[in-house]
Amino acid sequence: MSTALDTTATPSPRPSAVSARQLAASTATRRARAARLKLWIGTVCTLLVVVPIALAQLLPLPGPNDQDLGKRRLAPFTEGHLFGTDQLGRDVLSRILHGGQVSLTIGVLAVVVSGVIGIVAGAAAGYFGGWVDSVVSRLLEAQMSLPLLMMLLLVVALFDPSVPVITSVIAVAQWPEVARLTRSLVLVEREKPYVAAARMLGLHRIQILVRHILPNIIRQATLVVLLLLAQAVLLESALSYLGAGPQRPFATWGRIISDGQDYITTSWWLVTLPGLVIVLLVVGVNLIGDGLRDRSRVRRTATEGN
Amino acid sequence: MTRFTPPILGRRTLLSVGAGLGAGLALSQLTACAGPTGAAGPGTISLGLNRSLVSLDNKLNQFEAAVTVQRAVRQALTSIDQNLRPQLVLADRFELDEASGSWTVRLRDDVHYSDDTPVTVEDVATALRYYGEVNGSFIVGLFPEMPTVEPVDDRTFRLHTQRPVAVLDYLMANIHITPAAANEPVELSSGVGSGPYVVTRANGGTGEYELARNDRYWGPAPSLRNVRVRFVPEESSRVVGLRSGEIDVIDSISPDSADQLDGMRGVRIQRSPGTRINQLFFNFRKPRGHPLADPAVREALTYAIDGRALIDNVLTGSAQQAEGVVPVALEGAARTGAFTYDPRQARQRLDALGVRDLAVKIIWETGEFAADTFIMEAVQEMLSDVGVRSTLQQFEPGGDILQWRQGRRGDWDVLGNGFGNPTGLALTSLQGMYAGTPEREETRDTYQGFVYPEVAGLISDATAEADRDARNLLLTDVQQRIWDLWPCLWAFVPDAVLAHRTRMTDPALKPINSYDLASVALEG
Amino acid sequence: MVRYLARRLGQSLLTIFLTVSTVFVLVRLAPGDPATSYAGPNATTEDLARIREQFGLDDSVFAQYLIFLRDLFTGDLGTSYSFHAPAFDVVMDRLPYTTTLAISAIALTTVVAVPLGVWMARRADTNREIGANIVTIAGQSMPDFWSGVMLLTAFAVLIPVLPSSGFTTWGGLVLPTITVAILQMALISRLVRREMAGALASPYITVARSRGVSERALTWRYGLRNSAIPVLTALGTRFAALLNGVVVVEVVFGWPGVGSLVVRALETRDYPLIQATVLVTAALAILVQLLIDLAYPLLDPRVRLGKAA
Repeated sequence: MSTALDTTATPSPRPSAVSARQLAASTATRRARAARLKLWIGTVCTLLVVVPIALAQLLPLPGPNDQDLGKRRLAPFTEGHLFGTDQLGRDVLSRILHGGQVSLTIGVLAVVVSGVIGIVAGAAAGYFGGWVDSVVSRLLEAQMSLPLLMMLLLVVALFDPSVPVITSVIAVAQWPEVARLTRSLVLVEREKPYVAAARMLGLHRIQILVRHILPNIIRQATLVVLLLLAQAVLLESALSYLGAGPQRPFATWGRIISDGQDYITTSWWLVTLPGLVIVLLVVGVNLIGDGLRDRSRVRRTATEGN
Repeated sequence: MTRFTPPILGRRTLLSVGAGLGAGLALSQLTACAGPTGAAGPGTISLGLNRSLVSLDNKLNQFEAAVTVQRAVRQALTSIDQNLRPQLVLADRFELDEASGSWTVRLRDDVHYSDDTPVTVEDVATALRYYGEVNGSFIVGLFPEMPTVEPVDDRTFRLHTQRPVAVLDYLMANIHITPAAANEPVELSSGVGSGPYVVTRANGGTGEYELARNDRYWGPAPSLRNVRVRFVPEESSRVVGLRSGEIDVIDSISPDSADQLDGMRGVRIQRSPGTRINQLFFNFRKPRGHPLADPAVREALTYAIDGRALIDNVLTGSAQQAEGVVPVALEGAARTGAFTYDPRQARQRLDALGVRDLAVKIIWETGEFAADTFIMEAVQEMLSDVGVRSTLQQFEPGGDILQWRQGRRGDWDVLGNGFGNPTGLALTSLQGMYAGTPEREETRDTYQGFVYPEVAGLISDATAEADRDARNLLLTDVQQRIWDLWPCLWAFVPDAVLAHRTRMTDPALKPINSYDLASVALEG
Repeated sequence: MVRYLARRLGQSLLTIFLTVSTVFVLVRLAPGDPATSYAGPNATTEDLARIREQFGLDDSVFAQYLIFLRDLFTGDLGTSYSFHAPAFDVVMDRLPYTTTLAISAIALTTVVAVPLGVWMARRADTNREIGANIVTIAGQSMPDFWSGVMLLTAFAVLIPVLPSSGFTTWGGLVLPTITVAILQMALISRLVRREMAGALASPYITVARSRGVSERALTWRYGLRNSAIPVLTALGTRFAALLNGVVVVEVVFGWPGVGSLVVRALETRDYPLIQATVLVTAALAILVQLLIDLAYPLLDPRVRLGKAA
């Protein structure tokens, strides 16, 4: 602990011939350690949630819709209900896990879709410039100024609130972030000598973009996509909290919480536990994403340092 | 009543930011005299409504709690009391002339508005005319036809209708009287009334109002000096607010809230058998030959529903299973039968009728009645126990459930629906639900396709029958006929439930889920 | 400068215009009928037809759009169906609540997140900092409706010291502000950390340090000043986003702002009100964004407007 503090107190790049490399290395080591720690914690949190969700059907749990009106709102750890029961006597844990399957599916699908749209649009805008860039940039700006959640609610109302609709709505909400990043990466990449060389060789512009530029930026772009997964899960739960979720009796996380909210004065677990599960998963995914990004930075600084 | 808007000159388009920065000023006014958790001061109570009170006029905006507040400012000729009987308010005579079928009404000689101007016959005539001119008024729907006013002298007038309306004294309780010159055929957002309170601050946008005692009130002065009205949309927030003393009264509370507040120190709960009926109503537009077009199948299905369990567990005892086609508390209602839970019998009957693999679709709009989603999810399980598959389709408010109800969007079998009743008359509910005619069905304007001309004919006869006993006899007959058609998979009558802090006296809650604000006082 | 401003304003107007037009079409495509919400489920077909005519909903969407544009240029945003009052006035009744919440949330964020971010940058990758880092990640991982309900349970139910809903006392501002600020604090502190780490590693800091400038001055005067632009931009963008509606938090706390207004307007298919809300909030958000851009040169003399883009 104290050694770590000492190193920070001493400024890192010092104009001293002796220890510049060592210091760079030590910053890198510390950063790598932080990244590793985040990755570890993140993985543990994520698995803690994802594994039970994936195995929900195999676990010895009551069905998510099995009611027992005589056993309403049992507290956690009573009568074999680990997370207690809800207002209709259904097992809360089972509902959370089965609901998680819906929420996670929507999240993953949405992120894949938004990733594809964002990378394509962003790359095109960055590489071709001109009117393509103007159109994409205006779209990005317009979407920024829109009341996002309201638009999503509108669109969900427009079509039926089914899994595909909610997925695409979230994807549309998220593509700007990927597009913006991809655009800026491509802008940098475009000016590099290898692109000029490829152009001299007479390669087609699309070929250059797809074969040469995209592979160089795809790693960084996908890192953002992982962070978006966390957001997608949050967005989905917010939508279903506001009522725009798949039809009942499907349990989704947002709906379990909004249903449980009427009981906060008597049954704390109905809101607290599903929320904790969401937080655990999203923290996990965010930590992994953050850790991976840190690690790629460590690598880059390390190579630049050398 | 004036809208509360910051006094900014001209069109305020460009002053949004200014408004934002001025927010502090504007809001500090609003938050002036209040304790740390917002509890109202001495002499003041605050009401937490779960629907926004858009204005203090009921031409368009009619829900029970709103009526409580609206009546404190504007009064009608009569009002409905706790026993669901009409009482005279602005009138001291309200009599039916059985020969002609018209009513003679005389205004009290001492009634006047808060600005000291007297209530005149002209005001009543104007009010009736303007209620009729508003598009889509709920109130107008209660009247078989709108009466016209024929002045007799400066206080007396006659109310005429084409066919006699024997219950006009009940119905007129919903027509609020405003000075004729200030009235308009739209929802009024300002003006004076004759009630015990006057509006001192109003913000229709946020649903917040402050009322102060009308010092020139013609009747006995109310004991409370001020009443604050707030819009608190989340049920859980209302409960929490009442617990902490931030709010003094919450009305129309859900069974679960009542359960949570029951026995809590400083809180008392008032209940009254309600006049609203909540139904799981069958679709009467099924083609001939469809199982649900057969009353016997509908009856068989009712045995699948464990109404007792729903009442006790989901509705925590704050409701009664329906014993008739309208709530029994209503004037003229009859007990015509009961729902029985017997899943074996449900199966046997369905088998005997040759109904196999029945699948039903249940539709409803979120918030149609308290605990709606839980009831539906429970019903789904109960149906599956007798081998009937069901799918649920829940509509968010503002969606196109009406299109579905009318069968224009898709097919459905059971509708979750509530039918309120502000008049206290069984006749009003029967009229609204069961008086469908083939002509009205052409535009799909009947209640889920319920068209039985003989039923409609009996209801119409009862409306015109001046003799109360003869009328009730007719009504009993028609209710039995309707019950025997098994229109509902299940139905229940929720209690009107209100919770309040004990620092105020018990408000006398009426079955129409309203109370007289002027009769409320603070304890001690 | 003037030309830059003119171009920016032009672009902003175009964006607002496109936004409102999109919303205009979208609400009309969505299922549901304002007349039904207005008159209730038991209204007759005839009633509904009259109401639709009164609202001008019988015309084609294109015709309705032309009328809308005509009224817009005369400063008329129509009459709200559910409030029976000018839609613009209804939005203005509510706007002060949303701006108050947004301002207090951003103020809290600035006060907490900037020092936290600076501290994290200076202590980067120590054990304590990693802990703080994970806390900020947790902050951005909480669904706001959940953290809101949790805060409400803690401070209005278990220890009833604060009001649960509405804004009748200043205490009512506390819980919504914290709920909104949790996410903002997490985002901003991480941004400050990143920017500060970059700034502290720049050559001019090295030079300044070698000339004997104190660490405190290095951090606050040199480092933070040079991170100011991205941080302020982010704060401004977050503020603009908050003006655009803190829908969920407003719903949870019964906050009478434009966010809960929008939900209600959607539920009643109150077209004029939806349009007015979007117009006002989008305009406000864009205006804030513009002000931030104009403030750049004041903060950093190297930036000259008009040439930057």
